[in-house]
Amino acid sequence: MPNVRIPTPLRKYTQGREEVTVAGDTVGVVLDGLEQSYPGIKERICDEAGKVRRFVNVFVGEDDIRFLDNLATAVKASDEISIVPAIAGG
Amino acid sequence: MAGSRFLVLGAGGLGCPALLGLLAGGARRIGVVDCDVVDATNLHRQVLYDLGDVGAPKVEAATRRLRERSPGLEIEPIPLRLDERTLSSLLAAQSADTVVLECSDQPDLKFLVHDLCGEHHLPLVVGGVQRWGGQAMAVRHGAGACFRCVFEGAPPAELAPSCAAVGVLGAAAGALGFLMAHLAVALDAGDDVAGTLIALDLRELRPQQIRPGRRAGCPGCDPHAPRPAQGPLGPACSTSAAAACSR
Ligand SMILES: [Zn+2]
Repeated sequence: MPNVRIPTPLRKYTQGREEVTVAGDTVGVVLDGLEQSYPGIKERICDEAGKVRRFVNVFVGEDDIRFLDNLATAVKASDEISIVPAIAGG
Repeated sequence: MAGSRFLVLGAGGLGCPALLGLLAGGARRIGVVDCDVVDATNLHRQVLYDLGDVGAPKVEAATRRLRERSPGLEIEPIPLRLDERTLSSLLAAQSADTVVLECSDQPDLKFLVHDLCGEHHLPLVVGGVQRWGGQAMAVRHGAGACFRCVFEGAPPAELAPSCAAVGVLGAAAGALGFLMAHLAVALDAGDDVAGTLIALDLRELRPQQIRPGRRAGCPGCDPHAPRPAQGPLGPACSTSAAAACSR
């Protein structure tokens, strides 16, 4: 199952886990699975229309999904998905 | 390097270690901008200050501390509240060899600084820290991706947890501030660091490097894209700082 790296601000949803594995063959399906296991997390990543929020970026390996097929980007079991939000503090 | 100038915006959790890192990296000309005063509750991460500085303007305390460490340092304290107008005139007055370090705790300001540095052709390092980690990115507009290629905009206040609510580990601010200084010195030296975002979390100690491509239509770096909309700046991550600055 693809591995998902959870950023610091969202770990309160994953009981502090920095990495979780979630089944799915596209980024969108994985994010839906993430929401099933950790309710509330998806609305921090996607807006009401289901699009990735402007201050969040999602990578499969090193690749920005906006340069691929966005949430329809295919993922393999060996892939690592990273959720990277802009960090505001200073 | 000897003559280059570094302009540090914000002398708090990121700015203090960034200033020390710049000094350690050989910087000899530094400007430091902040409108806030030293607060006893932030001393754990604002490592340039001690209890005797509480209530003093941060730029004055920082300047005093850095001069004690490096008497030959040319350092300019700039007690300025940053908004689009003051920032624009500040950046316009910088020499072309200036590298900017964005160390504020205001999400909107980070993007404003980024965009205006593009307009004024100044390279910069943007950083952010919260809880156990954060991120830093060196940007040279026109060379590699910019910060807006990665993030289209700042998080709205209701979705960005405030530093006051979740805290900032002193060591995380220290690690990221020194990293920002390193990136600034490397940018100045012409090293190939621009366009890479480094995310760091002290609990896993596995830095993540992201080297995104330039995004077509990016308002931060595509000359054919419309300029990003700049509204009024939202609140700082720590609300007490915002209150101090608006006095
Ligand atoms: Zn860009």
